[in-house]
Amino acid sequence: MSLKPRAVNFEEVWGDLVETVQQVVTMGSIKRSVWNTRFSDVYSLCVAFPEPLAERLYTETKKLLENHVRQLYFEVEEQSEENLLAEYHRFWIQFSKGTQYLNHLYSYLNSQHIQKQKFSDADLTYGSMQMDMSEQLLEIGELGLEIWQREMIRPLQKRLVGVLLMGIQQDRTATATDAPTSTIRGVIHSFVDVNMYKKKSTLQLYESIFEGALLRETGSFYRKEASALLQDCNVSQYMECVIARLAEEELRATKFLPPSSHQRVVKEVQDRMVADHLATVHAETGSMVSAERTRDLSNMYTLLRPVPNGLTVLVHHVKDHIKQQGLQAVTSLKGDNIPAQFVESLLEVHKKYRTMIMDVFHNDQQFVGALDKAFESVVNHRGNTKVVCRSPELLARYCDTLLKKSTKGLNESEVDDKLGHSITIFKYIDDKDVFQKFYARMLAKRLIQQQSQSMDSEEAMINKLKQACGYEYTSKLHRMFTDMSVSSDLNQKFNEFLKSKGKTHELGINFSINVLQAGAWPLGQTSITPFAVPQELEKSVQTFETFYHSHFSGRKLTWLHHLCQGELKVSHSKRTYLITMSTFQMAMLLMFEKVDSLTCNELQTHTHLNDEQFNKFLQSLLDSKLLMTDGEELRGETVVRLNTDYSNKRTKFKISVAPQREQQHEAEQTHSAVEEDRKLYLQAAIVRIMKARKLLKHTMLIQEVISQSRARFAPQIPMIKKCIEQGSVVGLQDEEWASVAYQAEKIHLFALIPLSLDYALSSTQFSVIPRESKTCAQLATVFVKNLISSTQSTSF
Amino acid sequence: MIVLKRSWRKYSIDNLEQVMKVKIKSWTGVATWRWVANDDSCGICRMPFDGCCSDCRLPGDDCPLVWGQCSHCFHIHCIMKWLQSQQLHQQCPMCRQEWKFKE
Repeated sequence: MSLKPRAVNFEEVWGDLVETVQQVVTMGSIKRSVWNTRFSDVYSLCVAFPEPLAERLYTETKKLLENHVRQLYFEVEEQSEENLLAEYHRFWIQFSKGTQYLNHLYSYLNSQHIQKQKFSDADLTYGSMQMDMSEQLLEIGELGLEIWQREMIRPLQKRLVGVLLMGIQQDRTATATDAPTSTIRGVIHSFVDVNMYKKKSTLQLYESIFEGALLRETGSFYRKEASALLQDCNVSQYMECVIARLAEEELRATKFLPPSSHQRVVKEVQDRMVADHLATVHAETGSMVSAERTRDLSNMYTLLRPVPNGLTVLVHHVKDHIKQQGLQAVTSLKGDNIPAQFVESLLEVHKKYRTMIMDVFHNDQQFVGALDKAFESVVNHRGNTKVVCRSPELLARYCDTLLKKSTKGLNESEVDDKLGHSITIFKYIDDKDVFQKFYARMLAKRLIQQQSQSMDSEEAMINKLKQACGYEYTSKLHRMFTDMSVSSDLNQKFNEFLKSKGKTHELGINFSINVLQAGAWPLGQTSITPFAVPQELEKSVQTFETFYHSHFSGRKLTWLHHLCQGELKVSHSKRTYLITMSTFQMAMLLMFEKVDSLTCNELQTHTHLNDEQFNKFLQSLLDSKLLMTDGEELRGETVVRLNTDYSNKRTKFKISVAPQREQQHEAEQTHSAVEEDRKLYLQAAIVRIMKARKLLKHTMLIQEVISQSRARFAPQIPMIKKCIEQGSVVGLQDEEWASVAYQAEKIHLFALIPLSLDYALSSTQFSVIPRESKTCAQLATVFVKNLISSTQSTSF
Repeated sequence: MIVLKRSWRKYSIDNLEQVMKVKIKSWTGVATWRWVANDDSCGICRMPFDGCCSDCRLPGDDCPLVWGQCSHCFHIHCIMKWLQSQQLHQQCPMCRQEWKFKE
């Protein structure tokens, strides 16, 4: 067959073509040879000579398809409601397939004739408004579907949708459906597929005729369902039902509907069953949380999460509950080892709710935040505002007991674990500076008295604190650590020094020393008391001082005798004991070398101790039964005797000073030291801020100070105010600056005023002010005015 | 003979015990050190001598003090920086005398 254009008789060719087309759209069988001939017929019509007959072919085909669909419509229309879907579906399958084949048959017409007139993608997307879609020629496949939509779906629309909704309704109530699932699905999808050739808004028809109706139907169904359910079951059962319903509906959506609708249907159900009954659910929240009904809470979380702001009430209740549980755990502590009880019970509560949040609330950030908030308020809780919060102290003591040598038999990894957990609590503490003070004191004690269980654990803990709070926070602790190693080097050097001088045995005792940097250690100078070094130690002290000064010039050594300790060999009774004790106790016992009894006066004049210390340390010796008196009361003339009948099961032990009272005293001291530090810190912060900002509103200044100091402690506003008033005195030592309160436009402002003449005159703003005629205050006023006018554009 | 020996031994032990009734076996001293300077703070960086110079993070052995023969005292880092910045005469920044480290 030639491809050359030739004259064609349209009637003749069309006559053959009609037959085949009818076969195709009804999915009849066609021989391949016939198909091929028809294919070339379409071609020959399109390229016909003298005039191409493509246009006529298009109109005729259109007419034919219209007639066909109309005919089908009458057939479907006659069907009763039960058979409507099935029949429609059957014809749809047939027709949609048919038109697809027809499209292939007409592919020459499509590509040559219609394509030319078609709008490009760009036209469709950005095209002008005049485009008239109805005028446009369509590809044959699209034309067929277009006709289907116009002639079949439109007139049947109401009945079809009604039957479909009925079918879905039946599926919901789990009664047998009239049409099988595949039919319902097929019909619904036909609304989408009928527009499959369109480049955009393929879902428009589906959404306008079916989806809206479906959502309305769904809404009213579940509204009724929800109120019916709430009538005869409680919230817990209701939630179970809703979850089941949601799952069903999601499954149903995937079964029947195109993907775009899945979310919408589920959302509709959520709105009707959850969001509309939020109050009912919230009313039960409190009791569910306090009873910790995990299953219910988990359900509630699942249901409320998609609802906007649905979780707030739940989060709030969870927070309150955790707070209450936490407080309960720590307020009723009694008996021994309160620090350990405190920390461990807090950790238990924390762990419990941490797992609960993980299991029930899937680690939702809101709940994790609630846990943190709750714990912050538990950890920083104090009975009333007058009492200081004990948590920092207790936590520090807990760490102390873990790090101290003890007989508890925890191995190193267990200790490390527990220390790691204590960091959890540490992070919640507001007054981190209080913790630091306590920790430093206890660390100092452990290091000096060599009570540390392991140096590795000590260092690990300091590093943990550093991680949580930064370098600055632990720098003093690190310095204490370095001092210890410096001291051990020093001891070695000292021994070598003695050896080189041939004086190894001259000291008569086994001597060692810790030399510490005065600034780094929390060893108050206040506790230094007058003390006469016992004769036996004098040689050592002097030799070491000579050695030290020859090695390091410009340094002054101060002996802290209250921290020194030694081991005494005591053999006045039947057995010999090795007793570790403080230097003060040693000094007293050494006096009994020659005699068996001494008066208090003699002891005190010899040791030079003050009354308080003397009584304290003598009492400790009396308590240990090494010494004894006749009466209870200690007076100047009371005679103290060596207890020659002394016996103890252990031959190696330690005498310490009554620890309980010491602790109380220490805590008070620490708190007042912290208070001092805070004042300095706040003043420094104020100066820092003012130097940077020059001019600031009073309230803004306070806010900045709070935000700067938050990492260390929660400052109290009256204290900040006091520091602002004193700011000029303390922080600004160079006397170049002073802070002045300035009342302008009813804003309380603070500004830093340079008062020195040099500065004032060199600054352009001040060149006009003759210094002699103004007082400082006036100068300041002018300066502030200038500052205000110069910063007026910037908001402050 | 035997009696005599025993009594001698007994005597010697008694004697020993009486002499060594209380004896120090070992002693661990604790002392703090601080700089002995004629001023509270360094004349160059204005930081206290108990602290460190402004370039250091930790006071102590890492940031020591030095004395000149004129008896003025500075952080070693501060005075070294000062001396390096001086071209002609190495002078003490406080008294303008020639700077010489005190031995």
